Amino acid sequence: MFNVAVIGAGMMGSLHAGHYDALPDSRVAAVLDVRPDAARALAEVYSATAYGDIEEMLADGSIDIVSITTPTPYHKECVLKAAAAGKHVFCEKPIATTLEDGLEMTEACRRAGVVFMVGHVLRYFPEYASAKRLIEDGAVGKVGMVRTSRGGSFPQSAGDWYADKVKSGGVTMDTLIHDFDWLRWSLGEVVRVYGKGLLERAAEHKDYALITLRFASGAVAHVEGTWMRPDGFKTSLEIAGSKGLIAFNNEDSAPIKLAFAGSDGAGVEAVPQSPLSAEDDPYRLELADFLTAIKSGGESPISGADAVEALKISLAALESITTGQPVEIRR
Amino acid sequence: MIRVGMMSFAHMHAGSYAACLGQLPQVELVGVADEDEARGRAAAGTNNTDYYDSYDNLLKQNLDGVVICSENSRHLEMTGMAAAAGVDILCEKPISTNAADAREMIDICRSAKVRLQTAFPCRFSPAVAQVREVVRGGRLGEVVAVKATNHGRMPGGWFVEPQFSGGGAIIDHTVHVADLLRWYTGAEAVEVYAESGTMFNDMNAEDAGLLTISYDNGMFATLDTSWSRPKSFPTWGDVYMEFVGTGGVASVDAFVQRLDLYSDENMTYGWSGWGSNIDIGLIRDWVDCLSSDREPSITGEDGLRALEVALAAYRSVGSGKPEPV
Repeated sequence: MFNVAVIGAGMMGSLHAGHYDALPDSRVAAVLDVRPDAARALAEVYSATAYGDIEEMLADGSIDIVSITTPTPYHKECVLKAAAAGKHVFCEKPIATTLEDGLEMTEACRRAGVVFMVGHVLRYFPEYASAKRLIEDGAVGKVGMVRTSRGGSFPQSAGDWYADKVKSGGVTMDTLIHDFDWLRWSLGEVVRVYGKGLLERAAEHKDYALITLRFASGAVAHVEGTWMRPDGFKTSLEIAGSKGLIAFNNEDSAPIKLAFAGSDGAGVEAVPQSPLSAEDDPYRLELADFLTAIKSGGESPISGADAVEALKISLAALESITTGQPVEIRR
Repeated sequence: MIRVGMMSFAHMHAGSYAACLGQLPQVELVGVADEDEARGRAAAGTNNTDYYDSYDNLLKQNLDGVVICSENSRHLEMTGMAAAAGVDILCEKPISTNAADAREMIDICRSAKVRLQTAFPCRFSPAVAQVREVVRGGRLGEVVAVKATNHGRMPGGWFVEPQFSGGGAIIDHTVHVADLLRWYTGAEAVEVYAESGTMFNDMNAEDAGLLTISYDNGMFATLDTSWSRPKSFPTWGDVYMEFVGTGGVASVDAFVQRLDLYSDENMTYGWSGWGSNIDIGLIRDWVDCLSSDREPSITGEDGLRALEVALAAYRSVGSGKPEPV
């Protein structure tokens, strides 16, 4: 049984805690948050210990795993300290907002001999995992043009940190890094990035980006990220190849659509829902894979090196948005 | 009666334009000229009109207007003949394969005092026109970005022979949306970055194009021009635009009004469209222009502006950098 400490008791922290609790090999032992009420509230759910100080928490030798769901700017400190304390580390995406930080975190975990996994959870979403499998099976022949889209309204958060373009990197860093990782995982390395975006308007609670990626394979991807969509969260995917085409969007494939009459008779619509069995939940699968890697002493399913490569694409996109020029990715 | 002739059926849109002309009671379709005699005679037969074995003979028939649907590379030559005969012109898009020819077409027509219209039928889609009013009405606030596609299937024939077409998917499928974005917003394209490739077919022209277009008002747009629809796709392609504003989002998918048809006859699934015919809107507007003194609603300059976006995209593919329009 692994004892897990969750750092960051926000939405993602609660989500992770629920899955660690439900998985047979792990339990939530500690919750840390700089907001004492938030730490206490989440800890109480799992009869865990609430902390406000990371050193104090890491001094608890019974903790095996630290799972980090803080805002991105705190990832580095948490990962470095957890690794130094010999804890296995799970860190939400993006790994960091600079390459130097991402590399330092990866190297620290390697030296400490702990498993380090970064939460590029899209790999565990069944629609994206299935699409990758179809590509690998040759269902569409050689992949040519790919289109992805992701986003909804501007994200709300404690301290409104998404509105700080430096801390969050906006939609291009925080949201599109999901698609960048999935695309790299599915299509191989990216060699050139060009993008347009509205990062400068993050403080106005607006961001939108259209990014073009060129892959070493010759494929091209068009990646849309939006925090300016008033009608709900949407994702879509299209993969055009020499022998066929894969298309997906979350609205068309949602099995549940609910609409309730409002008091004045007008329809009040709820979001479409697409439930999965608990064992197919992408976050459950992701954390289960993490635990398996720890138990077996195997490689991290999504390593720091992978996360750094995804980060490179986000940073190249942001650089292109700033300079107006295409950015080559070197490695 | 408005007397109209058809110059060449090389472009497949000629058939639809001829059928539309046939629907208008005030129009007499005087004849079809085509150097491909079999193609010309077939078209004349289908449209109950006469076949002419030379463009000059057709142009001698006291025409009010001609529709030019030749290969793109021959638009200048055809325009020169029609202008010399003093006949107004509706020219299929793209206006030409290159900017010099397009400018010469505009100049020739101006000198000859004939009116040159570019065929951009998408302006006559009721859905496209309605969303234009939404965008112009201001409810979206400031339009900051547009995501657009004009997908298709690989058309084959001269469309994939650059000496006739000017290129592949980029020149074929940039101009419609480039024109619509100008028409919607009044903004002019200033810079284009493009990636392209021959990804889906074995041929000399590109079948994939992805443009990022910067506008003089700060707006940016992407346009996927790819012939990426497989043969098994239920329809030919799309014209889709999504406008992202500070006050909301508006999208138009011009050709989705359809019945889904699943047929065991040949084991296919396809779309059977029931939307309004956009070509009849274009032809009716042009015939109205012929019967009046007004300027064409879509000019040769409009055709050139749209073409310039495609040409900048080709330069960008060559240089690997954004290129000025």
